[in-house]
Amino acid sequence: MAAPVPPGAPRQQPPTGPPPNFQQNPNALADNFQNMNLNRPPSSNTRPPPFGQPPPFSSSSPASPMTRPGPFPSGATLRPASGSPSPTLPPNMAPGRPSGPPFGQPPPFGARPPPPGAFPSSMPPSAGSPPYGAPPPVTRPSPVASSSPVNMGPSGAPSGFMSNGPPAPAFQAGQRFAPPGSSQHQPPMGAPPAMGPPARGPPQAGAMRPFMGSPGAGASQVLPPSGMGQAAPAFGGPPQAMLGSVASPYAPQMPSQPGVPPMPGSMPPPRMYGMPPPMQNQMTAISPVIGQTGGTQPGASKIDPNQIPRPIPSSSVILHDTRQGNQANPPPPATSDYIVRDTGNCSPRYMRCTINQIPCTADLLTTSGMQLALLVQPLALPHPSEEPIQIVDFGEGGPVRCSRCKGYINPFMKFIDQGRRFICNLCGFTDETPRDYHCNLGPDGRRRDADERPELCRGTVEFVATKEYMVREPMPAVYFFLIDVSMNAVQTGATAAACSSINQVIGDLPEGPRTMVGIATFDSTIHFYNLKRALQQPLMLIVPDVQDVYTPLQTDVIVSVSECRQHLELLLESIPTMFENTRTSESAFGAAIKAAFLAMKSTGGKLMVFQSVLPSIGLGALAAREAEGRSNVSAGDKEAHKLLQPADKTLKDMAVEFAEYQVCVDVFITTKTYVDIASISVIPKVTGGQVYYYHPFSVVSDSVKLCNDLRWNVSRPQGFEAVMRVRCSQGIQVQEYHGNFCKRIPTDVDLPGIDCDKAIMVTLKHDDKLQDGAECAFQCALLYTTVYGERRIRVTTLSLPCTSNLSNLFRMADLDTQFVCFLKQAAREVPITPPLHVREQVTNFCINILLSYRKFCATVSSSGQLILPEALKLLPLYTLALIKSAGLRIEGKIDDRSFWINYVSSASTPSAIPLVYPRMIAVHDLDTQDGNGSIVPAPLPLSSEHVNDEGIYLLENGQDCLIYAGNSVNPDIMQQLLGVPSADQGGAEFTLQQYDNPLSKKLNEVVNEIRRQRCSFLRLRLCRKGDQSGMAFFSYLIEDKVPTGGLSYVEFLVHIHRQIQMKMSS
Amino acid sequence: MSEMANTDPEGIDGVRMSWNSWPRTKVEASKCVIPLAACISPIRHHPDIQTLPYAPLRCKTCASPLNCFARVDFTAKIWICPFCFQRNHFPPHYGMISETNLPAELYPQFTTVQYTLPNPSINPQMGVDPNVPTALSPSPVFVFVLDTCMIEEEFDYVRSAMKRAIGLLPENALVGFVSFGTQAHVHELGFSDMSKVFVFRGTKEITKDQVMEQLGLTVPGRRGPGTSAAAAYQHKGMMPNGFPGSGVTRFLLPASDCEFTLNSLLDELQTDQWPVQPGTRASRCTGVALSVAAGLLGACLPGTGARIIALVGGPCTEGPGTIISKDLSDPVRSHKDLDKDAAPYFKKAVKFYDGLAKQLVSQGHVLDVFASALDQVGVAEMKVAVERTGGLAVLAESFGHSVFKDSFKRVFEDGEHSLGLCFNGTLEVNCSKDIKIQGIIGPCTSMEKKGPNVADTVIGEGNTSAWKMCGLDKSTCLTVFFDLSSSDRSNTPGTVNPQLYLQFLTSYQTPEGQTLLRVTTVTRRWVDSTVSSEELVQGFDQETAAVVMGRLASLKMEIEEGFDATRWLDRNLIRLCSKFGDYRKDDPSSFTLNPCFSLFPQFVFNLRRSQFVQVFNNSPDETAYFRMLLNKENITNAAVMLQPSLISYSFNSLPQPALLDVASIGADRILLLDSYFSVVIFHGMTIAQWRNMGYQNQAEHQAFAQLLQAPQDDAQMIIRERFPVPRLVVCDQHGSQARFLLAKLNPSATYNNAHEMAAGSDVIFTDDVSLQVFFEHLQRLAVQS
Repeated sequence: MAAPVPPGAPRQQPPTGPPPNFQQNPNALADNFQNMNLNRPPSSNTRPPPFGQPPPFSSSSPASPMTRPGPFPSGATLRPASGSPSPTLPPNMAPGRPSGPPFGQPPPFGARPPPPGAFPSSMPPSAGSPPYGAPPPVTRPSPVASSSPVNMGPSGAPSGFMSNGPPAPAFQAGQRFAPPGSSQHQPPMGAPPAMGPPARGPPQAGAMRPFMGSPGAGASQVLPPSGMGQAAPAFGGPPQAMLGSVASPYAPQMPSQPGVPPMPGSMPPPRMYGMPPPMQNQMTAISPVIGQTGGTQPGASKIDPNQIPRPIPSSSVILHDTRQGNQANPPPPATSDYIVRDTGNCSPRYMRCTINQIPCTADLLTTSGMQLALLVQPLALPHPSEEPIQIVDFGEGGPVRCSRCKGYINPFMKFIDQGRRFICNLCGFTDETPRDYHCNLGPDGRRRDADERPELCRGTVEFVATKEYMVREPMPAVYFFLIDVSMNAVQTGATAAACSSINQVIGDLPEGPRTMVGIATFDSTIHFYNLKRALQQPLMLIVPDVQDVYTPLQTDVIVSVSECRQHLELLLESIPTMFENTRTSESAFGAAIKAAFLAMKSTGGKLMVFQSVLPSIGLGALAAREAEGRSNVSAGDKEAHKLLQPADKTLKDMAVEFAEYQVCVDVFITTKTYVDIASISVIPKVTGGQVYYYHPFSVVSDSVKLCNDLRWNVSRPQGFEAVMRVRCSQGIQVQEYHGNFCKRIPTDVDLPGIDCDKAIMVTLKHDDKLQDGAECAFQCALLYTTVYGERRIRVTTLSLPCTSNLSNLFRMADLDTQFVCFLKQAAREVPITPPLHVREQVTNFCINILLSYRKFCATVSSSGQLILPEALKLLPLYTLALIKSAGLRIEGKIDDRSFWINYVSSASTPSAIPLVYPRMIAVHDLDTQDGNGSIVPAPLPLSSEHVNDEGIYLLENGQDCLIYAGNSVNPDIMQQLLGVPSADQGGAEFTLQQYDNPLSKKLNEVVNEIRRQRCSFLRLRLCRKGDQSGMAFFSYLIEDKVPTGGLSYVEFLVHIHRQIQMKMSS
Repeated sequence: MSEMANTDPEGIDGVRMSWNSWPRTKVEASKCVIPLAACISPIRHHPDIQTLPYAPLRCKTCASPLNCFARVDFTAKIWICPFCFQRNHFPPHYGMISETNLPAELYPQFTTVQYTLPNPSINPQMGVDPNVPTALSPSPVFVFVLDTCMIEEEFDYVRSAMKRAIGLLPENALVGFVSFGTQAHVHELGFSDMSKVFVFRGTKEITKDQVMEQLGLTVPGRRGPGTSAAAAYQHKGMMPNGFPGSGVTRFLLPASDCEFTLNSLLDELQTDQWPVQPGTRASRCTGVALSVAAGLLGACLPGTGARIIALVGGPCTEGPGTIISKDLSDPVRSHKDLDKDAAPYFKKAVKFYDGLAKQLVSQGHVLDVFASALDQVGVAEMKVAVERTGGLAVLAESFGHSVFKDSFKRVFEDGEHSLGLCFNGTLEVNCSKDIKIQGIIGPCTSMEKKGPNVADTVIGEGNTSAWKMCGLDKSTCLTVFFDLSSSDRSNTPGTVNPQLYLQFLTSYQTPEGQTLLRVTTVTRRWVDSTVSSEELVQGFDQETAAVVMGRLASLKMEIEEGFDATRWLDRNLIRLCSKFGDYRKDDPSSFTLNPCFSLFPQFVFNLRRSQFVQVFNNSPDETAYFRMLLNKENITNAAVMLQPSLISYSFNSLPQPALLDVASIGADRILLLDSYFSVVIFHGMTIAQWRNMGYQNQAEHQAFAQLLQAPQDDAQMIIRERFPVPRLVVCDQHGSQARFLLAKLNPSATYNNAHEMAAGSDVIFTDDVSLQVFFEHLQRLAVQS
């Protein structure tokens, strides 16, 4: 077979790094990815971890307003997003803001490109080290100056607030508004006022408001304005008003906040940007939302699409302490690049809450319209610079636990009575301190040994599990590969690709005598291989009964890698040729996994299935429902979503059985046809596995990805036979868990396999009132077995303050988490509800939050404007993106949608966001762009306005990477980048190669960096204008208006505003 | 062989009858006590049998071939069929016929002739497609089914036995291989890339169709080189041209092609790897393995002669055919359990093998079982399948034992000692009017061919006048039971032919692929026993009668619940003696028996004591095994089973037959007992002492050495002739092994009367009655009015 994998790649690896494991060498992960990176010089060991710096969502959204703004007229057109700090900062800063620190930092920034790499060495626990030297010192001592270099703006807490609310900006806005807006706003404007007043908004005088209010008419009116900005006028709200509104909620809080420290500048959340904050900027030129200047300037209504809220990437790394001053410190955005210091609460990577303060009552929560949920990612990949999780061994007695709720000892358990007893922070029960765990209390009421004991000072610790936590010996690491060898699979090269991938990956499996591997192939029958044979070649054992399967051997089907490596390799090499001439087109997927399961039953382990066609025979065979579905389309879409549900219960029942025996199934679907992922995916979902989808499969372009995906799959931090439970303080309880797992009893989830990429959403509900000012704790305990066969309990504890103040909730909302929860729920709905309903639900969700904010937190005067809480200002954009995402697209392929649904269900926050809101960058001018320290250039808004015919663009969502070449690209550039003079010659099967020119090198660097960030190799596709591929590319530009009815971003804002107004007035 | 021929009571025909003169009426026949039965050895070798290169001429009404008993009108060129009296014209190619120019079949001495048949289809009714051109598949087919659940040592023995067997196979023989343990493995010998096996679960009964489907033998173009057309043919159960159906080339390969593969496969083969819990039996799916093998053959070569050779090392504990649970504390069923219906698996297993037998018979394939284990392996259950297909059964203690090793080797041996294994035999019986066929005891299956000469009452395989013998060999012997029609014989004796005719037609396929038809026509006299029983008495064949009674008793014991064989035999013996003895009523001392009957009571006495009737000394497996052989062997051998022969060797005389009595034991004698299943050399005490002192090694005691050697040589001669190879026991008087001899002897001297015995003789510790006592009772009862 033509193994497209560069022969060199795998070989390089062993030397570079040991197989990754959690703590010891976080960099190993990065190393892995390096190896994936074909074109990358292998030298760079020091590359930062994959998650180093997720670009699209800048580390701090608050920064965005600052960067764009207006002092520079040019700002409007191109946003020098991460432009040189010095110029940007001042503008952001409200007058009178301390500008010292920011300036101090530039130097480090300048040096940034290398820093990620430098991290590991230079700053272990954020000691003052050269590159970062500046920030940390600054942060600690002077809360005011505060935190991370990037977010200078917010950092000055007071000033930050000012920026939102304070009148000063408002005025600015007012002043600035006139000039930009003046150009074109009249037409719509004119009309609305007329209609508006009668129709609606009695209290509000805002000219715009009425406009918004009248739904029907309004819409028509709005749209006509045409042009990109058409909808602009809709947002009537006079800027000033908004500012006012913002200010008001905010101001009051200020005092309440315990001074500056708790709200370090780095926090985006603290700042409330409603519409207002943008306003602040808009004032000058942007003011997207508030199209109309309302009262002041009736004419200036046109929204500048460049000014509406969009995520602004930050290239800098945020340093984050989880608690400061004994207060929970709201975490940086999930998608930003940050380094955590665990000072009591767990790192937000492991667990984060949708709101960083817990509403005291259920009513309050309901009023806010927000969700209360945790996103738990217990094995998340840490930043290489972070301190490793400490392992605590309590010896035979096992970890100290509350005798009532069985909560684990954590920093928030309160020791009393000279340390003889302690009060559980989860259930409130007073326990006796075990004798040998006793320690006196210090004057501060803490145990004197608190700082020496990780479990008393860290939010995340790992306990060594005792016998009590084992029902059997910890299982060995078992990897079973199951390969489709039906005619289709062999002919498309999928079999060969799978075999060669496995062959390359065998070396990456955890080393040790307990690492076991099995291989089986299947078509209409299942073929096992007995590899443990002293003489001769392996023995092929065929299980022909695919209705009622069994395993052909109790032992020897799964063998120790170290003993049978050669046999394995030999076998993998011969499989493709052995089935070369097969004419069996049937595929017994269900039976095969069942048989493999039976072979693994005694140990459990990971089952990796390479499937290429629709399972057509035997147990769990599926019908080509899609075809039926298509013919039914005419009958209406009512039933269409049923195709997204599993065909029957067979596979589900199997999956539950697998989970019971700790078998985790990953499915690699390498196909060119419909395979009914909706049904197949049930198995990975229930067993804690994952679906990989290569469609349409191409040997040339997908083999490498397959190999890299597989490598990451086996080498990423992971655990087996896990059980997870989340405990909450009294007053809150877990409502439900969502994710890829199996649940047999209500309180726990069983995870046959869990890895660093998997997240579980835990929705919460009140069962009692909480005390304002008290803390509410959440503790996630994950009992699992490492790949080396150690049984561990990873305990992550998060303690958050409770509040009864609604505006606090908005202020402390965590946009990314909030949205991801919301995304996951939408994904769950899709198969059971017609898509239009789901879209409506999604939109309503967004509206309700904004409405609540508008109703209860904004000032009365601002009613005519669309007001967005600062923390959630991107919610409409994300909501729009979600509505237009693959999963909710009606016309999409069923399998694509199923895959999307499945992917979302286990996706972590940092990977879910880009899936919905991808990142687009221009690559034709990579060599001239100023990266500003980051390898990946600043993303462009997802709007076709930003795509021009002379450009080449790269758009990626963590899974796919589309390279789009316009029609009139300079052939030179094409040649340099892609090796062909025009996109027409690119061919569908596209691989990125490195050519000997700076542009190409740069592109490769960028792609590799993205791969590293995403922990994903990305499927590269070349898109051309005018054909299918081009359409695919444009379908990701979610800000565009879609001919079939999808609103543009601006239109969507208008729509939301109108809805809010309707509800307000009703 | 020729030596045998001289004393051969069966003659050219290989037919022996219990009565060589037949009573005229059913009533008279029933008074004769011993049923009318003919024991035939359908393909026994005889030097005088002519093989004619043409097809037989058949009567146009009853289809019986022309034979030497037909009346021929040479001028009119007409022959009259002796069975139906139909007048048949000779066809043109018999035009040359005249009194001096007879075709071989009309020579009076050639009552048995053999015809060579053109190959196509012997018996369309067998469900074998008549279009199957058997000429194209002349090679014998062997599918080995090997048990892998055994200890390493045994496994080595059986592997080497198999290797040797494969080496002995003719080059063109097709070989398939199935191994089994917890699961059944079908080895795809034609797959060159690596060893490839199809694994069938042991617990699940599997139909023939499933086997075909799962081996990929049905769906067109599934795998392998079979064209879709070929596969389509196969689907309908036929093959385009003999073979190759794709299955043949995948699973069955000529021995020359696969010998290396098989040998290396055997080298690599491990004993079953599934763990066996302590205290449990290995799980062994004999039933599934056999049905898979049957399915494989059925898919590949239906209608072609093929043998499934099962090498079994223990009881089936898994899936269909299970005879015992895996729990070791649960003992394998005994006769007692069977009697009390306390063998929960027995009936189910028998039913399963019955089904398997049907399948094999319909495919024309043979099941051979070689069982070697200390405990039972389930031969009792498998018996039905082995017997109906005409297979071989060998029961041994170990695969290393000569009983197995040598027997197994003989199956594949060529030449003089070959068993002459033939395939696809059918037997048809034609008989004169008024004679009805009740059935056959022996290795065959009824073909349910009804006709006017089929009796209503059934013995053994009945309800037919034709039988299938998937496998048969030179020694195969069948016992046909006849009855007379109950119709009142109103016709006057004058018009009735005084002779009765029986014709046996056996068609079969030789290992070389030839199809032969052997026609044996025999005639016997009708006698009117109401007038005189003299002729009847003269025609009594005691040996045959004893064997027939033995076979019948065995059969009845198997199928009749609560059947008391001893009493049944006693009653019949008494009736016989009452009818044919000379005596005064109620005077036992006056009782004498015609010499034609004189041996019979002794046969019955020994039969009563034999393993066939006294089953409780044996396991059901052994009993089944003994019975299979009893039913299958010729009369002479069967008689030895009932009543062993004893030869005495001493210094003073030539070897001479000795009485089967404990009195024959002497300190200075060597006895050679042949009880068919075992051959015992028994050294008297003195002889044993001398031997132990090594006299035979001294030059001056050559005679002693010769004396020692003589019985050994004779034993070897017996062993060489016999299949299965008997167990050879060499023992000394008072040794533990001596029981093999003592058990067979008439206990004329027991501890009860030990004081009466001369010194040096031996005593048997038993309460069994001795022959003398038996006779006394018999006389008394026979004369009772």
